[in-house]
Amino acid sequence: MPKSERRARIVAAVTERGEITRVDELMQRICLFAMSEIAISGCTLALLAGTEPVGTLAGAGRHSGTITELQFQLGEGPCLEACASGIPVLLPDLAIDGAARWPVFTVAAPLGVRAEFCFPLGVGTSCIGVFDLYRDVPGMLSDDHLADARIAADIARDALLYLQEPPGHPGLAALLELVGMDRIVVHQATGMIAAQLDETPPAALARLRAAAFESGRSIYDIAQDVVERRVRFGE
Amino acid sequence: MSEVSGRPVGGRDGSEGGGEHGDAGRRERLLARAFVRLADTLADEFDLVAFLHGLSVDSVEIIGAEAASVMLADTRGALRLVASSEERMRVLELFEIQSAQGPCLDAFGTGQAVQASAAESRRRWPVFAPRASEAGFRVMCAVPMRARTDTIGALNIFRGNDEPFSDSELEIARAMAQVATIALIQERAIRERSLLVEQLQTALRSRVVIEQAKGMLAEHLSTTVDEAFQLLNKYARDHNRRLTDVARDVVDRKLSHEVLARRRAE
Repeated sequence: MPKSERRARIVAAVTERGEITRVDELMQRICLFAMSEIAISGCTLALLAGTEPVGTLAGAGRHSGTITELQFQLGEGPCLEACASGIPVLLPDLAIDGAARWPVFTVAAPLGVRAEFCFPLGVGTSCIGVFDLYRDVPGMLSDDHLADARIAADIARDALLYLQEPPGHPGLAALLELVGMDRIVVHQATGMIAAQLDETPPAALARLRAAAFESGRSIYDIAQDVVERRVRFGE
Repeated sequence: MSEVSGRPVGGRDGSEGGGEHGDAGRRERLLARAFVRLADTLADEFDLVAFLHGLSVDSVEIIGAEAASVMLADTRGALRLVASSEERMRVLELFEIQSAQGPCLDAFGTGQAVQASAAESRRRWPVFAPRASEAGFRVMCAVPMRARTDTIGALNIFRGNDEPFSDSELEIARAMAQVATIALIQERAIRERSLLVEQLQTALRSRVVIEQAKGMLAEHLSTTVDEAFQLLNKYARDHNRRLTDVARDVVDRKLSHEVLARRRAE
């Protein structure tokens, strides 16, 4: 099927359930399309600024959110790699394909996630997010499903990109207000730790992640403790 | 060039003459190479001028012209010469634009391919034709570069003898113009998208940086993050700078917390 025809088919499938007035609605519909047309058990659309996680936009199915979120918390995983490289990362058997590349993530991945397919939302190597698909049985997606996933990711990307026009478009501002509110505390804690350790923000974030991993607590809980000055890094 | 002038001149389709089989094979190879080159717009370092120069040089070789050039419409719809296979052609084409008459302008204006013999061109373009003949060109041809309903430019091919371009040669010229048009449009779309990606990335990053700067300041000044935000905001306003830039300076330690703290005392 030619690319334009495939795109038209997906756009039709996404919009046939009624008019879309908000961008988060569109993102949700794209996830629902993937759930019904692609052999997956769950999926997530997430925003990243380069490799810096911003937040999830939409999700559907099993483990929706959790597996992408886990990668955000750990700072490693196929999503981040897809976004950093601009190239889809396809893992038909997560336990085998992922173990060497992301040991922590692979061990920590929720039980039941057996295969993962990450498509960057971007142009070339510049990315603004990722379309993360996963399923509960190992195995590669068919060529047809891979092509659908890739184009669905392009549609999500274009919707986000063209929302910026004209500058200051309320759609984008409203979306950004919704997305990643829970991560704000992580950014603030990163700044505080950077000051405490006299370090760069990336180094401070790595310390915060390590502390979360060691203690088995969520990064948000520890970040909250840092911001409320119950936890200090350094001396 | 020597290959072109030494090329055996066959019938209208180049199908006569002893070396016709080898000639066709050579042309096919050249054409394949040209199309691969035309697909290069997807590469990271795309150079528009080099790309169109390649197109005119390839046209000379493949179609069997003496010289070729490419004109593109600028944002206001006026034609500009962007590439030519040789200097003589460049000077002549600049003159075509100046005198506002010639095959390229006609092809661009009508969206149709134009071909004229030396005699016809003197009738059609009385100012342009004598200059072209002075430069040594006799048969002139231009094919439009068309995308759907828009014409974005034209490819010109000129010959120094009186042999008209055959139908199959014109077909090749059209095909090359077509592929070049698609490549150009694709390149424009990619560039536009890249710009939008960068913009959104900047917007997303600026949120992160502002929160980090708030945390950093709050730690240094032993204040709440809200208070730190007010200081950042006030500093940005007082200095007529963007909040994101001030936050970036704080995070990069180019703007010290002492300076910002002083504003709190004021």
